[in-house]
Amino acid sequence: MKQHILPGALACAALSILSVDALAGDGKIAIKAGRVITMNGAEIKDGVIVIEDGRITEVAAGAATRWDSELLDHPELTAFPGFVEAHTNRGMDRPNENLEVAPFLDVRDSIDPINFYFEDSLRQGIVALNIQQGPMCVVGAQGRVVRPFGMTVEDMTIKPDAGLKIVAGSRMGRSRATQAMMLRKSFTDVERYLVKLMQDEKDGKDAAKREALFQGRDPEKPENKEGRAMEGVAKWKLSGFEIVGRGLVDKKQEPMLRLVEGKLMAFVQCDGAASVHLALEVARHNGFLANTVLVLDGDSFKAVDAIAEAGVPVVLGPNMVWTERDPLNGKENETFIPSVFAGKKVRFALQSLNSTSQSLWFQAATCVSYGLDRETALASVTSTAADILRLGKRVGRLAPGLDGNVVLMSGDPLSATARVEYVVLDGELVYDRSKDPRAKQLLEGVEQPGAAQQGLPDEEVDPHSGQKKPAKNDKGDKTEKKD
Amino acid sequence: MSSRQANLTIAAFAAAFLCVAPAQAEKGKVGQKVSSVSAKKVYTGTGKVLEGGVVAISGGKIDSVSGGGSEEFHAITPGLVDLGARAGAILWSVEQSNEVTARLSNSAALDPWGLEWDRLVKSGVTTVLATPLDQNVVGGLSQVLKTAGEDSITARTVRKDSVLRGAMGQQPSQRNSPAFGRPTDFYARRPTTRMGVEWEWRSAFHKTALGQNEGGERETLMKALKGEVVLSIAAWTTQDIRTAVFAVEEIKQKELFRSQGLDKPRVVIDAAAEAWKEPQLLARSGIPVVLPPFTATGRTREGALLPRNAADELRKAGVVFALSAHGSGAYDSNLAVQAGAAMSGGLPFDEALKAVTSTPARLVGADARVGSLEEGKDADLALWNGEPFEPTSRVVAVIVDGVLVWDGRD
Repeated sequence: MKQHILPGALACAALSILSVDALAGDGKIAIKAGRVITMNGAEIKDGVIVIEDGRITEVAAGAATRWDSELLDHPELTAFPGFVEAHTNRGMDRPNENLEVAPFLDVRDSIDPINFYFEDSLRQGIVALNIQQGPMCVVGAQGRVVRPFGMTVEDMTIKPDAGLKIVAGSRMGRSRATQAMMLRKSFTDVERYLVKLMQDEKDGKDAAKREALFQGRDPEKPENKEGRAMEGVAKWKLSGFEIVGRGLVDKKQEPMLRLVEGKLMAFVQCDGAASVHLALEVARHNGFLANTVLVLDGDSFKAVDAIAEAGVPVVLGPNMVWTERDPLNGKENETFIPSVFAGKKVRFALQSLNSTSQSLWFQAATCVSYGLDRETALASVTSTAADILRLGKRVGRLAPGLDGNVVLMSGDPLSATARVEYVVLDGELVYDRSKDPRAKQLLEGVEQPGAAQQGLPDEEVDPHSGQKKPAKNDKGDKTEKKD
Repeated sequence: MSSRQANLTIAAFAAAFLCVAPAQAEKGKVGQKVSSVSAKKVYTGTGKVLEGGVVAISGGKIDSVSGGGSEEFHAITPGLVDLGARAGAILWSVEQSNEVTARLSNSAALDPWGLEWDRLVKSGVTTVLATPLDQNVVGGLSQVLKTAGEDSITARTVRKDSVLRGAMGQQPSQRNSPAFGRPTDFYARRPTTRMGVEWEWRSAFHKTALGQNEGGERETLMKALKGEVVLSIAAWTTQDIRTAVFAVEEIKQKELFRSQGLDKPRVVIDAAAEAWKEPQLLARSGIPVVLPPFTATGRTREGALLPRNAADELRKAGVVFALSAHGSGAYDSNLAVQAGAAMSGGLPFDEALKAVTSTPARLVGADARVGSLEEGKDADLALWNGEPFEPTSRVVAVIVDGVLVWDGRD
């Protein structure tokens, strides 16, 4: 499953509804901006970012003209590495899977490249998204980090095998205890399976061989035949596992074996403080604590001491303010969640509230309004988020060697009035606001071409018939229709 | 607990810390009277900005607003005013015996212990218009009141029964049953369509002018038509806004109304998402509007489109407008966020400030008391830790009638 993005090829292949005139194709462009926020040391006034073959080769001050490369010259704009969405369930046709333990699934098969969500993300200056299965499972699919541009999932992929989704919180219709039992059992099931595999090998049974052939692997191939001792630090480490050729391990079981061996990350979702302890216990017992990222919702922040002690990073839920009613006086008390984690020096990333308006920039700005320092707030949606995904060498900063992603904004990324004007991904200009019809509609009310009401006199036609559904984000009082 | 932890972090990151909030005074005690408060910038809401301003307070009123003070806060603005707050607008605020219940007052139905008041206070909103839920065509009389103070609606009321509330469009007909299909029950009501809603409005006006409706109803509707109380009509889409404007213009032109002095209604169109599509019509009729909250997609309920530049377009066309958060106190959708969203659509800061303070106060006739920082007015202040309406700042303390009613500083 090894993949490598070849940006040069992409520049020709990738076309989308938002596609804009790509910069010409000798593979080298220079972006000049009045202000460069690198997230990698100090800001640069009048800086230039050079991207060659999809990678950043230079980030420096200096207004010297670059004759050897295509130039995007915008002294009035602010260059920024772009935002990193550290965890999301969106962008797939449906986020949830009925199977409770399904680590063999891959969100690759659910991601919908033409989903508007990606277009909206690009419009908000997001350059990387960690797509993970929804929380209605015990052990879910393998996630994937993608960029919000490309006609195929492969085009979009930044990192396949981005990690397994694990849910420690209770699900609808299930008690917390059931979930805990099922989660622990999912690991003992793998252990039992491996023990049986070992015994079958000793007994000379060939069921595993036949299954491997059925799944399309030749167990006699050298790389499949070779056995390896169990790696990782799981308490249930198996002795003598090296007698089993790795090609015999069932594809369905393999992802969890990789998790236990420390070769895969885990995004463990917690719906509240009570599930944090289960998450940490399962990760410790099965040896993948060092590869764990907690995805927190509800009052999970109350377990901050346990999280700090475990040393795992966290992705905070979209709602950053926790409100609780004092049982004595009936008043509501608020806790600003990111401050709790900043106070304990736990590394944290934020999630968007929604893709189109209160996106990552707004979440980071809100952190500043609650007293976090600007550097930490910005990092939680850029560099820290990238580091948590172990993509710090690819996205989240403007520095030589990283992917050629640059977002040009009309002002400070955290201000109410700044807008994303251009987005360059892997050295290719993929977004230009002046050519974005949906931005025109949202910002200026210009209806998209082809909309039903175009050209019709509105005296005769209800301009919005067929659009009677209330908007998703409508905070107005909702009433159900009786008929 | 959490805020202390945040402080420690800030100290730890001191090198990288960009100063957002200036040094603040000690956290105050909620419930105490404030005699003066100062900030780096005092926005009076009348277009003036005082650098290093001090607001002196006595007897719950503003004594003076002057320069040359210390800087306890980054900014002070008048307490925000929301005419679409929907406080207390629950299903039980709807009298179901009739579609036109003009004489009813929601004063007795409001709950001073409700959680919505505190949420509004924390978002800087100090004065609201509390209306019944728009399930009736003409719902009843509404109250202009403070969001904090004594635990009594009477004590908090700024103007009692000063606004008559009703609605156009789909909403007033939404829960009503049609004559066919499912059998209608005891509660089945009319109308069931947009045109039915319009007919109810015009019928109410005409019955009033002809003396054909019940005494109490008639008296209230007369007040509205004479302009003694403000007539607030909820209308989201272009067609509903037009219906409302045409209904008002009909009254102004017909002899039946003019001869009795019933041709002077003071109308405010609430939730006018698509007002930006009819700027000339609104400018011509001189009818002000209140915009609903901006949404993520631009689409609001009833399928109306509300782009970010709507407020600025109305300003350019000379239409008087106010902004509303429809009661949200949440950090992602409160009234300050609405002002910020309008600014992202091009509205200048001064105009955004007016649209959440002095303009709404004036539209409901409460401007003698609230909506600006001027001598003699109520001491209702929102205290900010940064530039108002920027997402990097928020309201950190609120004063109502000279009393500190909330302090969320560390």
